[in-house]
This record gives sequence, C-alpha cells and structure tokens, in this order.
Amino acid sequence: MSVTPGNSPLQATGELPVVPRRRMSPPMKGVIWAAIGFLLLNSIVSGIDPDVLHSYVNQVSVVFGWMGAMVGWLFGVGGWDALVKPAFGFPLKWKETVGWRRYFEYSTDHKVIGIQYMVSSGLGFLIAGIAAMMMRLQLMSDHMWLFQYSKGYLTTVGVHGTIMMFSVGTVFMVGGLGNYLIPMMVGSNSSAFSRLSGISVWMVPAGIMTVAFSPLLGDWTTGWRGYQPLASQDGDGIIFYYLGVFILLLSSLIVALNLVATIVFKRAPGLTWNRLPMYAWGMLAVSFLNIIWIPEIMMTFILALLAKIVPLPLFTAVGSPMVYLQMFWLFGHPEVYIVVVPALALWMEILPVLSKKTLFARQWGVIGLVFVMLLSGMVWAHHLFPTQGNSTILPISFFTEMISIPTGFAFMVAIGTIWKSKFTLNTPSLLVLMSMFNFLIGGLTGVFLADPMVNMQLHDTFFVVGHFHYTIIGGMVFSSFAAMYYYLPKFSGRTFNDKWGQFGAYWIFIAFNATFFQFFIVGLRGMNRWVPVYPHYLMWQNFEISICAFLLGFGFLYNIGYIIWAWVKGPAAEENPWKAKTLEWYAPSPAVGTNFETEPQVVNGFYDYSDGAGEAVVFQS
Amino acid sequence: MGDFWGFGIIWVVLSVIADWIASIVGRHFYVFTASVQAQEGQAAASFLLMTVVPIFVFVVMMLFYALFRFRRRKGDTGSSTSQVKFNKAYVGLWVTLSLVVNLFLFVHPTASAMQVYWQEGQAYNKSSNELIVDVTAQQWGWSFSYPQYGIQESVDSNGNDVLYLPVDRPVKFVLNSYGDGDGLSEQIDVIHSFWIPAFGMKTDVIPGETRYEYITPTVISDTQQNGMMRVQCAEVCGPGHPYMESNLHVVSQSNFASWVQQQLKLQSGS
Repeated sequence: MSVTPGNSPLQATGELPVVPRRRMSPPMKGVIWAAIGFLLLNSIVSGIDPDVLHSYVNQVSVVFGWMGAMVGWLFGVGGWDALVKPAFGFPLKWKETVGWRRYFEYSTDHKVIGIQYMVSSGLGFLIAGIAAMMMRLQLMSDHMWLFQYSKGYLTTVGVHGTIMMFSVGTVFMVGGLGNYLIPMMVGSNSSAFSRLSGISVWMVPAGIMTVAFSPLLGDWTTGWRGYQPLASQDGDGIIFYYLGVFILLLSSLIVALNLVATIVFKRAPGLTWNRLPMYAWGMLAVSFLNIIWIPEIMMTFILALLAKIVPLPLFTAVGSPMVYLQMFWLFGHPEVYIVVVPALALWMEILPVLSKKTLFARQWGVIGLVFVMLLSGMVWAHHLFPTQGNSTILPISFFTEMISIPTGFAFMVAIGTIWKSKFTLNTPSLLVLMSMFNFLIGGLTGVFLADPMVNMQLHDTFFVVGHFHYTIIGGMVFSSFAAMYYYLPKFSGRTFNDKWGQFGAYWIFIAFNATFFQFFIVGLRGMNRWVPVYPHYLMWQNFEISICAFLLGFGFLYNIGYIIWAWVKGPAAEENPWKAKTLEWYAPSPAVGTNFETEPQVVNGFYDYSDGAGEAVVFQS
Repeated sequence: MGDFWGFGIIWVVLSVIADWIASIVGRHFYVFTASVQAQEGQAAASFLLMTVVPIFVFVVMMLFYALFRFRRRKGDTGSSTSQVKFNKAYVGLWVTLSLVVNLFLFVHPTASAMQVYWQEGQAYNKSSNELIVDVTAQQWGWSFSYPQYGIQESVDSNGNDVLYLPVDRPVKFVLNSYGDGDGLSEQIDVIHSFWIPAFGMKTDVIPGETRYEYITPTVISDTQQNGMMRVQCAEVCGPGHPYMESNLHVVSQSNFASWVQQQLKLQSGS
C-alpha cells in the first residue's frame, strides 16, 4: 500500500488497522543505527588521520562521526524504509500505526508531525530551563559555589541560549503549531511536502541532544552567538554547538519550505489572499525569513567549524574577527522576528474570536507582518554598536527605530479589535493580553537600546538580557501558552478548567515580571553579562532575582503539567468551543485522521462577526 | 463617544502623572554618572523615558479596558454590538504619530547625542590638555600606559594594573588588543569590551584594529567607594572573562601629578 500524503490510512473511528508484526520501536532503531554510524565514520577518519598523536575521538573524526550518527538516526527512525528505499523504486512497506505509538515513529500526517515538533520543542524548553535555573543558582552568590570553574557556568549559558533559540523560539510556534494548524487553516488534508516534513521533525531531538551533550567534548564559553575568534580557541564542545545548531536549522528550513508551499499551493477554493487567516500570514512571513536567512547562517557555521577544526585563520586578526560577527547578526536579528512574528499573528488570530468582533484593520495587520519581515534584515548591526566603526551607527540606528512602526501595527489591530467588544476573559485571552503587556515592555526598552549613545552604556549588560527575555518569553512563550490553551480542544477533544488555567497564567505573569523587570535595574546598576561572579554590591538583588526566577520555573512546570493533565483527563470539549470561523475548527476535534472528508469552499472572510456575515465556509456534498 | 472621551481624559491625566514620575526617576536612570559622556547618555535616556511613558500608558490602559470595561458580562453570548472594521482617523493618526515619533527620536536624541559625542572627540584631539591613555586588552586583564608621561604600565602597590585619571580633564583612550602587529600572535587574542559603568560608555577592542574612546571624568571617586567605578570587560572572552577587571581612581589634578611621579619612580626601580 502507499501512504498518500495527508490521506493517512488511520481513521478517527472504526476498526484500527492491525500492526502486522512487532517491530523494533523506530527511535530505538534510530539510536542503534546512529551508534553504528558514529563508530563507523569516526573509526575511518580516525584511522586515516596522519597525525599519530591524535586521540580516537578527535576534532575532525567527531565531525564525521556525528554526520554518520545523524544519517543513521534519520534512516533508522523511518527515513530508510519510508523515504530512501521508495525513492529507488522499492515497494513502500512502511505502515503507520495508531494510538500513542504513531508519535514515536515516522509519519506523514501533519498533525502528528506538529505534535512531534511541539513535544521535542517542549523537551528543549525543559533542558534549557534547567540550565537557566542552574545559572540563577550560581548567581545567588557573588563567588563561585555551584560551578567549580567559570567555564562550566559559561557552557551552561551557551547551552541554555542555543537550545532556547534554535529548538524552542524558532520551532515551537512554526514547526509545531504551524505544521499542525496551517494545512487545516487553508482547508487541506495534508501539507505540501509531507514526507520530507515527516523526517525533518526527527532532526530536532537529535539537535537538542547534540547541544545538550556538547560539554562531553569540552567546555565552550561563547554563549549562543559563538563569537570569533574566541570560538576558535575554545574547548571542543563548540563543535557540537555548530553541528547541533546546523541540524536544528536544517529542520526549520524544511519547515519553512513546506509551509510556504502549503500556503501557496494547497489553499481550498475561495481562500484568496484577502481571506488568508492571520496566523497563516504570520507563518508565511516567518517562513520567508527562514528561507532567506537560515542558509546564510548555516554557511557561516560551516566556515566557523572549518576555522575550528582545520584550522583556518578566517576570523582571527589575520583574517577579520568582525566578519563572523556581521554574518552572525545578519541572521541573528531576523531570528528574533522569526521568534516573535508568530506571536503577533496569534494575537490577531485569537482576539477577534474571543471578543466576537470583526478583526480591525486586517490589511494593516498583514502589512505590519510583511514589513517587519522586510525591515528585519536591515537592523542587524545594532548588536554591534560598540563593536563596529562609527560610520554605520546612524543608518542602522535609523532602521532599528523604524521597525517599531510595523511592529506597532500588531498592537493597533489588536487594540482596534478589543475596543468596544464583548471581550471573553478566559485563560487564552488573558495570556494574549499578558503577552501584549510583556512585549510592549520588550519593545519600549528596545527604544533605549536603539539609541546608540544609551546603547553604549546598556550593551552587554543585564538590561539587554531583560529586554530580549521580555520579547521572547514575554511575547513568544506567553503566546505559545495562549495557543496551547486555545487549541487544546482541537488537539485532544478535551478542555481545561478556566480557574486553574487563569491561576497558572497569573502565576507565570507575576513571576516573570518580578524576575525580568529587575534585570533592567540590575543591568543599569552595572551588572554585566556572562559572569558567574560579580562585584559584591550587586549580590542582594541577584539573590532575590534568583528566588523570583525559581518561582517562574515552577510556574512553567505547573502550566505544562496542567495542560498535559487536561489533554489526557480534562472534561470533554465542544466541537468548536470558541465559536471560531476559521477552517481548522471545521475539522473534527480531536483532529485525528482526515481533516476534511469533503473539500471545503471558502465564501467569506473568517473574522467577520457582524450579524449578517454568514458562514465563512461551505462544503459541497 | 462616551468611551472615547472617557479613555482620552484618563489617558491624558495618567500620562501627565506618569511623566512627572518619569521625570524624577529618569534622572537616576544611569544610577551613577561620573563623566560628561555619562551625563549626556543620561539626558538622552531620560528624554526617551518621558517619550515612551505615554505610549506605555495608552496600551496598558487599553488592556485594562479589555479586562474591565469591555469584558463580556455573564450570560451574554451575542456578538459585539460594534463591528467596526476600519477607522480612518484612528489608523491615520496611529501611522502618522508612530512615524513622527520615530523620526523625531532619530533626530533627537539619537543623531544629536552621537554628534555631540563625536564632536567632543574632535575637540579633545585638538586640545593640548588631552590626556592619552593607551589601553591594552588581553586574556584576561587590562594594562594602561601613559605615553605623555612615560609610564609604561601603571600598577598599584600590589602590582595590579590600575587606571588613574585626573578629574575634569579630557581623556583619549587608545584601545588595542595585545599582540597586534606580531605575526606570530594572530590566534592569541579575542574581542574584549572596555567598559567603565560610571562613565556610561563602552568600546569593543578588536584584534588587529585600534579603537578610541573619549571621556571627561567629572567625579572624584574610586572602585572602593563605588562599584560602578571599575574597568570591566563587557564582552565574553573566555573562562577568565568574569575576572577581567581593574580598579579605577579618579583623583584631583594635583594628586594625579604626584601619582605620576610615584609611578615613574616605581618604574625606574628605585
């Protein structure tokens, strides 16, 4: 039999296809194949290495060994049976199973893949969160006590930042929610490249593990940015930083290609660009950013990896240390919009539904998303105000200040929608308001950082750390929680108790602001970044920031735990509890199997709540 | 129209109060300023704070309106009575104002403050009074030399590198990475950042490049008295980064002169 993309053989009800024979669980097979792949390539490279003094696992051999492991993992987990062999004309023997097992194997169902992305990303959030807690523990004192050496602390900083950025910030709302929702939102039964997508998701756990285990090779002290020339003289753990990020980015690149193709080619009849849902617009903007900038940073990381293992003097004083920095931030600043644009789009998706009011100034919301995307490539060097020559400061500062205008359109649309509405106050809408509040502070503190004179003081201090945690946790993570509560009935057919949901929302909101608002203050008082030890006068404030941070950590655990509980055991939900008009709510809840038995036809916009608006979707029978 | 005027009046009143508070708090934005340049940055920051506070009040008020004023009452299941899809005045005003505010902020304080800082640098260079301090960054420490006085590396009584500056005299820091021009040392050093928190300015030190920073200290103080009076590396530079700091003393002109004599004596080995 063949697996038709999206028309997977499993059905929501009825008899379940029988698994013909017991086979090894695909992730287990993947791990074994990965181990074989590593040993094979590492041994070959190690064997032919002319340097007699090298160790069995050395800088060069570990790179090749890792490649072997990655191929082994992706093949073992399903790529060999479901992708490679069919590509050479062998019959496809792969059968998708049912129940919880399907989440632990290769799948072409975009909903399974979406959940796989979300869970992998959640795993990254937990690992990087534990790293953050260890950092805060160390910072409770002004001298070393938890870590023995500062390089252990700095490695933890790097692992925290890298996993958070590349497996949570870039992945959760795009690879996760995007894969899950977008095909349904555009009225399709599958994504455009469902087989490729089925394999790309398995790169995420591999990438997270690569970065998380990087200290095995040696401590690295650069943080998530890998600045040269420091990276070239750093411990060998930096090799796993390059490789882990590389594979995580490859996964996000595939997600971007898939989402763009799905949105462009898989829309239901009548779903014109003027009717395209806001979240789909957000995913389109983000995916273009990914397609433009991910290849750029992947190439940069290859150069940096070669500079490390060959070694090449590309980024030392013989070459130019600034080249790496410019290349990094050329990607690095669009990256923060890759993180945040889905959140802005989600506000505009949820607010009209929960306030039962037509989305205000829709076209300006779209213009905002698109212009943020366009401008985000012109602001990178504000990360380098104290670093680069004076001549580029003012133009970059100009664009940095200007990008607040299209970003502000998301606020304009959200506020216009809320105004004089009947605003349903529940957990997801409360989290959206909180996300707007946090992101507002993140944005307004960005105005200070965009001013070069003020930036010269604030750069590399905790003020900056506070600023970007406000945009990323405050904006993106809070919106992700809003989305989880909002779409829980879709995911699981179950819902949550609003009291316990709101309790969780207030918990993280208060703990988050108590923690990160103080980052601004402690930064202004002279607390610089990347230090496990600091002057004694900053100790008291750091101590109580850490207490607040632990409360925040437990708050996240509470919310994740509560969502999992409601997913499994919560009260049954209605088919369309929020009375939304977008297409994903026409698919069955929980969304298992085929999205749409008959093809939907879009006849109206999705966000019109005026009395005579009529249905947005009809189904031809 | 009731909501409109009500919101408008509350917004104006709250903004005035918040700006009044911001004008007081904003004066302490930099916590401690000990140079002309820190005061300039402080003035810019406080101006920015006053500008963004009304915007903050506007959006946050709207969030509270959603929570209380526009909240759906119990038992009400209908759609909102207002279904406005567009409002030319609101959108036009929003787009125009955000453009105007941003352009304005770019002219002042962004461009104006940088202009002042760069002009100060040029003025200092022309002044005969300018004190030149050569700063060398290396993993992991700072060293300071005073070519005008023949001090090759200033040290305190424990032999640690130390930075002494006279108050109210323009200083030009010449920032270099250790090992420049030495063909054998291309791999030796990495990027550092020269930062004195109380001076409100930082400049990165790039291997292979020379950077300049211009400061006029205005307050007599030292690291012991105030933790922000310290030379701190602000760019991560390896395991020793947290320890890459030096003590700073800003002293009176006469004390500086006697310190110079003492350093020269120390240097000549007597």
